[in-house]
Amino acid sequence: MKTLFNTGNAAITEGAIWAGCQVFAGYPITPGTEIAENMSRRLPEVGGYYIQAEDETASLHICAGASLGGLKSMTATSGPGFVLYADPYGWAIGCEIPVVVVNAQRVGPVSGITGAPGQGEFYFSRYPTHGGNFETIVLAPNSSQEAFNMTLEAFRLAERFRTPVTILADQLVADGWESFQLPETPEELASLGLGVVPRLVHPGPDFYPPSDAIDIPPVVLGRGTGAAASDWTPTEEGYDTEEIEPQMWHAHRLVHKILQHRELIDRHEAYFLEDSPPLVLVSYGSPSRVVRSAVRQARAEGLAVGAIRLQSLWPFQDALFHPKTIHLVVELNTDGQLVREVARAAKGETHFWGRCGELPGVSELLVVIRDILSGQAPRSMPGQWEAW
Amino acid sequence: MDHLAEKYLHPRKIPSTACSGCGLGQVHKKVLLAIEESGLGLDDVVWGTGIGCAGRQTFHTWRGDNFAGTHGRVYALATGLRVALPPEKKIVLTVGDGDAFGIGLLHLLHCARRNLGITVVVADNFGYQSTGGQFGYTTPPGMVTDSSPYGNREPGWFSEGSDIFAILKDAGATFLARHSSFDGEEAVKSLVLALANPGFSLVHIIYPCVTHFGAVSLKTRDREEIYRWFAGIFAEGEHPGPHFQSGIYHDARGKRPEFASALREWTKEFGREAGRA
Amino acid sequence: MPRREILISGFGGQGVVLAGRILGYAAVLAGQKATMLVSHGTETRGGYVRSQVVVASQDIDSPLVEKPDFFAALSQAAYQRFIPLVTAGLTLYDPALVTPGEPITSRHQPVPARELAEAKTGSVLAANMVFLGVILAGLPTISREAGKQAVREIVRRQVEKNILALEAGYALAESRVVSG
Repeated sequence: MKTLFNTGNAAITEGAIWAGCQVFAGYPITPGTEIAENMSRRLPEVGGYYIQAEDETASLHICAGASLGGLKSMTATSGPGFVLYADPYGWAIGCEIPVVVVNAQRVGPVSGITGAPGQGEFYFSRYPTHGGNFETIVLAPNSSQEAFNMTLEAFRLAERFRTPVTILADQLVADGWESFQLPETPEELASLGLGVVPRLVHPGPDFYPPSDAIDIPPVVLGRGTGAAASDWTPTEEGYDTEEIEPQMWHAHRLVHKILQHRELIDRHEAYFLEDSPPLVLVSYGSPSRVVRSAVRQARAEGLAVGAIRLQSLWPFQDALFHPKTIHLVVELNTDGQLVREVARAAKGETHFWGRCGELPGVSELLVVIRDILSGQAPRSMPGQWEAW
Repeated sequence: MDHLAEKYLHPRKIPSTACSGCGLGQVHKKVLLAIEESGLGLDDVVWGTGIGCAGRQTFHTWRGDNFAGTHGRVYALATGLRVALPPEKKIVLTVGDGDAFGIGLLHLLHCARRNLGITVVVADNFGYQSTGGQFGYTTPPGMVTDSSPYGNREPGWFSEGSDIFAILKDAGATFLARHSSFDGEEAVKSLVLALANPGFSLVHIIYPCVTHFGAVSLKTRDREEIYRWFAGIFAEGEHPGPHFQSGIYHDARGKRPEFASALREWTKEFGREAGRA
Repeated sequence: MPRREILISGFGGQGVVLAGRILGYAAVLAGQKATMLVSHGTETRGGYVRSQVVVASQDIDSPLVEKPDFFAALSQAAYQRFIPLVTAGLTLYDPALVTPGEPITSRHQPVPARELAEAKTGSVLAANMVFLGVILAGLPTISREAGKQAVREIVRRQVEKNILALEAGYALAESRVVSG
């Protein structure tokens, strides 16, 4: 095991290489560019291919095409590029082709500030394409180590579920430097609880069965199986159809292959929940680091407060939230996105503390925690859920 | 088509769902004839399709491996696929004029720039016919369509003496040919050469739409009259429509390295050097 | 080592990020944990650059430097912007670049980094290494060997000159008894 001091972007690169990624197609964009640069250096070393695409729409299409040809692939971007993934993201969902997508969120809307963090694509990552009738898998690291681990996990889930998996990072996780452990042997990789799922080949020529089963190999072309991949509604044999019944089965498969096996996806960390504190802070990504400091400090002051940190965002983990708990959701935006899901799932008192472009300070969060616990309306909050 | 259909196509896709009198079947048949003449079997070709009449009607007709792409991005999908597949696997894309010369033009040009080893067959029916007949980038100026009820006001890729092929050639395409769906052996011959090219080939085949273009733009439902008009645009002499030259436009096969093969070779060489170092 | 927060800030081209990278990696070599957040404008050179480094023996929660133990001010703009954060910590500044504002309410230590770098290496470019030496001297759990090793592995050019400048920083700290 080697200990490095490097960025989340570097950790994601090494995770992808470990996972057997052989193709990266990308388009330069801050703060995702570093992953493209790293992949352009690392892939040839392992016999893989770096392709600089003409735009982000092409990036993900190229990755999906490479995956359709049997090579594991990944692309990385930031918000302005993530929106251009909508077309191929949907294609890969519908054709059930594995691919890993990284979005290092920066502050928006639109181009915003290139070097400042945001969390504006929480919902967009749930609905990254049109048409509905699908579930998505979205993971959210908050450290370089987790960025490495989750990249391997994303490749594993993508293969097993035959679908794109998004790593929803933010600029601070992507560009932030941190010490992390890089395994050098498969044994060391296994000691981190990580593994590599090989690419298998669908036997064809029929399409996937109308079931919620996972671990069915994805369609791979060029192997003489007579298999088809189609963004049209497919019949079981792979023909395009305008009939409603095959469409219902297709939608059923896309939704339930994920929901029925969500225990493989759901991940969270809980702090100080043993004594069921009245107030629980909820966050993901880089704000969760500050939240953890604030909650530790609050506990040291004797305040009954805990925290939930989401490591997987979608499917949303409703069961973590209870109506009798007061939830304070901390996000890197001022419109409040995660808070809406928490409020929906918890059906109880829910507060929002959001800031765009920079992390909240520990001292600021402590003020809000004290206010809520003393029954006061929280002060100095840029936005308030209750007010809407 | 019978022996070709038996040899290459899914029986459930015959006859096709195209409109009666549509010229697309002739284009499809020429591609299959060229595949046969090239001595290629089901395992030798991966067939991709775009969106619109040309894409939808040819999708999953091929009994070998095949895929349907998103509108205009099948070229980007094929870029990734080309890198993944060995060079002996041919990638054939059947697409329409809107797909290739409209929504997908950026990606198409980048495939030409890379000299990507694919054969793109653009089946051109002069506009968006599967959506009911709107003008496109090859629709002659002035033509009435459902979205140009007073006549098409936009210059097309063939207006004022221009030709989209000049752009594709400059972008780096290594084989370009143009035909009418009424062409016989000559068109098949161009397709055979296109398939033999290790790099980027595009064969543009103009075919008649009797349902929308014929009825609305040519203002007739008489098939013979429509066919005569389409034949006339490739003929010598006076013609009310545009004029095209049939045959090979540009042949630089083998003059530029194919993108994916070169990338693979370079990567192997890089690995060997790294191994030595 | 308990959590230590280090803020290094100056303008682009002074090696603010490089100094932070070496500091973090030296901590790693010494078996510690480290984080660094880098912020700057779009331009690589000329704008302000800030490295927020946290080192600790335990896992680091917040990577924010809210109460720096060390603040290395490499430009007047950086000094003015971040000096309000410093209460208990020590501010290091190059008198050739920074004039502390009155009244001075926290501990300040002048570090003639440019002058020392020029004297030791013939160039002011290694001034960041002088600051780094002073900071590392105040973090005794990171050995001097780890500090030098980190410079050797991360700095690509003029490694020995950078080491000389680093040592000048250590020597300055020892002569003035600097501590966080």
